[in-house]
Amino acid sequence: MRSLASLAVVIGIGFSVAAFAQSVDPKDLLHPPPDSWLTYHGDYSGRRHASLSEITPENVGQLKQVWRFQTGQNPSIKATPILVNGILYLTTPDNLWAIDARTARELWHYTHPRNDAFHIGHRGAAVYKDTVYLTTPDCHLVALNAKDGKVKWNILIADSSKGYWSSNAPLIVGNHVLVGISGDFDNLPGQLKSIDADTGKTQWIFYTTPPPGGTEPESGGATGGQMWMTGTYDPLLNLVYVGSGNPTPVLNGKVRPGDNPWTCSIVALNPDTGKLVWGFQVSPHDTHDWDASEVPVLVDADFNGQPRKLLMQASRNGYFFVLDRTNGKNLLTAPYATVNWAKGIDSTGRPIPNPAKEPAKDGVLIAPNESGATNYRSPSFDPKTGLLIVSVQDGYGIYFFKPEHGAYGWAGADYGVAGKAFLRAIDYKTGKIVWNHPIGDGAGAAGVLTTETGLTFSGDVPGNVVAFRTTDGATLWHQAIGKVGNGPITYELDGKQYLLVGGGSSLYAFALP
Amino acid sequence: MILIIKTSVVTLLAAGVVLAQGKPPAPGQSPASLPPPKTVTQQTFPAEQIQAGEGRFTSQCGFCHGRDAAGGETGPDLTRSALVAADTRGDKIGPLLKTGRPDRGMPSFDLTAAELGALVAFVHAQKTKFEALGGGRRAVDAADLATGKADAGRRYFNRKGGCSECHSATGDLAGIATRYQGLQLLQRMLYPSGQPAPAPPKVTFTLPEGQTVIAPLAVQDEFTVTVLDPAGARQTYARSVVKFKIDDPMSAHFDQLGKYTDKDMHDVYAYLETLK
Repeated sequence: MRSLASLAVVIGIGFSVAAFAQSVDPKDLLHPPPDSWLTYHGDYSGRRHASLSEITPENVGQLKQVWRFQTGQNPSIKATPILVNGILYLTTPDNLWAIDARTARELWHYTHPRNDAFHIGHRGAAVYKDTVYLTTPDCHLVALNAKDGKVKWNILIADSSKGYWSSNAPLIVGNHVLVGISGDFDNLPGQLKSIDADTGKTQWIFYTTPPPGGTEPESGGATGGQMWMTGTYDPLLNLVYVGSGNPTPVLNGKVRPGDNPWTCSIVALNPDTGKLVWGFQVSPHDTHDWDASEVPVLVDADFNGQPRKLLMQASRNGYFFVLDRTNGKNLLTAPYATVNWAKGIDSTGRPIPNPAKEPAKDGVLIAPNESGATNYRSPSFDPKTGLLIVSVQDGYGIYFFKPEHGAYGWAGADYGVAGKAFLRAIDYKTGKIVWNHPIGDGAGAAGVLTTETGLTFSGDVPGNVVAFRTTDGATLWHQAIGKVGNGPITYELDGKQYLLVGGGSSLYAFALP
Repeated sequence: MILIIKTSVVTLLAAGVVLAQGKPPAPGQSPASLPPPKTVTQQTFPAEQIQAGEGRFTSQCGFCHGRDAAGGETGPDLTRSALVAADTRGDKIGPLLKTGRPDRGMPSFDLTAAELGALVAFVHAQKTKFEALGGGRRAVDAADLATGKADAGRRYFNRKGGCSECHSATGDLAGIATRYQGLQLLQRMLYPSGQPAPAPPKVTFTLPEGQTVIAPLAVQDEFTVTVLDPAGARQTYARSVVKFKIDDPMSAHFDQLGKYTDKDMHDVYAYLETLK
């Protein structure tokens, strides 16, 4: 138990932090200090790997709850919090809280006006200098003063009445705020926008499929390819990597022949111009709603004996990809989950869709199901073991399409049949599964965090936050906190390592006693 | 909290019976296998009210039921709902929204009369629209599924598929095609779920004295197992302190999903369709 005297000290620190909230120098994003979690992924690489070493496999069993922050709202927390100078920024749709990381005291709370757009979830905020950015379901980007939550500016990034919405945690690169948008119930082009961090002016727009009236890029008649997840960035190559979503109409592939670039793709963009440098399509001509939005994880490591700049993605379609991120050339493609939809792998490393597994009038049994072999839940790469650790679902769905379903929006029907959830460790050099830890029925919702001491943190389906040993997936600690819907994070504050994780609609902080 | 109290194990033992295995399946019908039910009482609504309802529906209902109310991944097609067809100006929809259907994952909604009125207006307007369209999109009709061969399905059921190891056409599956049709029959064939719920897995505890106690599983995770006692109350045990095994007949269904060809699936469906 904490004494009254030390409680007073903690409160004192809390006030001083609130009074002297400082800003994030964009340069800090290149080398985030240990007392921070400055971006959605923690750093630009998307590895979600922390170098902190106080919590170890030997002492993790002693972790105790330090505080709990309740949003007081129904939606569960799907956001990764940002930690800047002792202040946490946490989001749910239409909401952003600034919280004192030492006490969980609410410093301010911004509520976006009630609106009728999709409220499915929210991934998180972004911070640049002394500004916090929030995307909203009705496709606003709101810039708030990090100190007091006052609105600096508020712009529209898309028209939600057409069927767009946003749940995106923006990616800050230099003075660019990169924001993505969602929407595949309507035939809408996918886009990533670069907004000037200071002024809110649009700098450029990258389209994955042609905008209304446009013919570029070539997509074979497809719309869609929404870029709703946060990308990664290589500062030396000056390339931003973002995954794109499925084509629309979603299940009717007949009206959009060909591969439908750049849907279900990983694209490398120049952040200063928005120009495509290369693209790699992980699901050519998708007809199963398998977004390739999953995190493109950046790793510098040996591959076939050569030091390489790698990009790896465990994609929703059930395949694991390793690319050379300088040029997008494929180095490895291997299934990491139950798959039955591809005939093989083509010479460029892309799965070849089996036409017999396209949605049909009488139904086709497909693995994975619509929610995919994985989804938005972030994986983590552990450099010591070379393992990409992914929250996986082995599942099946039935897919239907007949001409009467039309060519707008979903244009078909699909139903999940059953699934089983696992935390699965993939050897990046071979694609082989090194360990596989069952975490329940259906699909997990938690992201993954690894640390330098060989710990992996994630959540299971029934509602525990769990610590695993990274080398073999053995369980070392757990706590029932409700379904973990976000990626756990860790940081050091006042010399102490904290684990932060959302359970239900509460955010929990754990530390050693 | 975890109860590791011997008396509760004894309570189960005292009952000495295999506990309730769920209600026998009540007659059910796949909404998608039938033409949309006609609205009983024709109603009209002002355009503004429908428009207001559309906005609210999109934000609060659309993700499950589809933006157009014609069904989504997790929510049924409301344009084919018997309850909507029977509804007059919210007299059925209103009470349902107030309570939700927690057992089926539908939350409750606290709405003002104006908000409810708008939602009701939109759902009825969509229903009228889809009735006019006929065979609305996202619907799967029973006729769509009828491509298999019942003979081949019977052979698969009895031999290669191994279905007959647990099921019998004259036993548990007698009349199955009367209870379920179309998409619902196919879904329950592949992996029984939904209402009425399939029997829960059985947990067999072995007591230190060697006796065994069987109880239906309520929920489990890596650390605990929770069963229902004879009174229907939940009893939770740490896995590390009890000796037990779980018989889950559903695991065979899951394994089968990896073995079916699409032809097998349609053939077995055709065979089940003959079991009226």
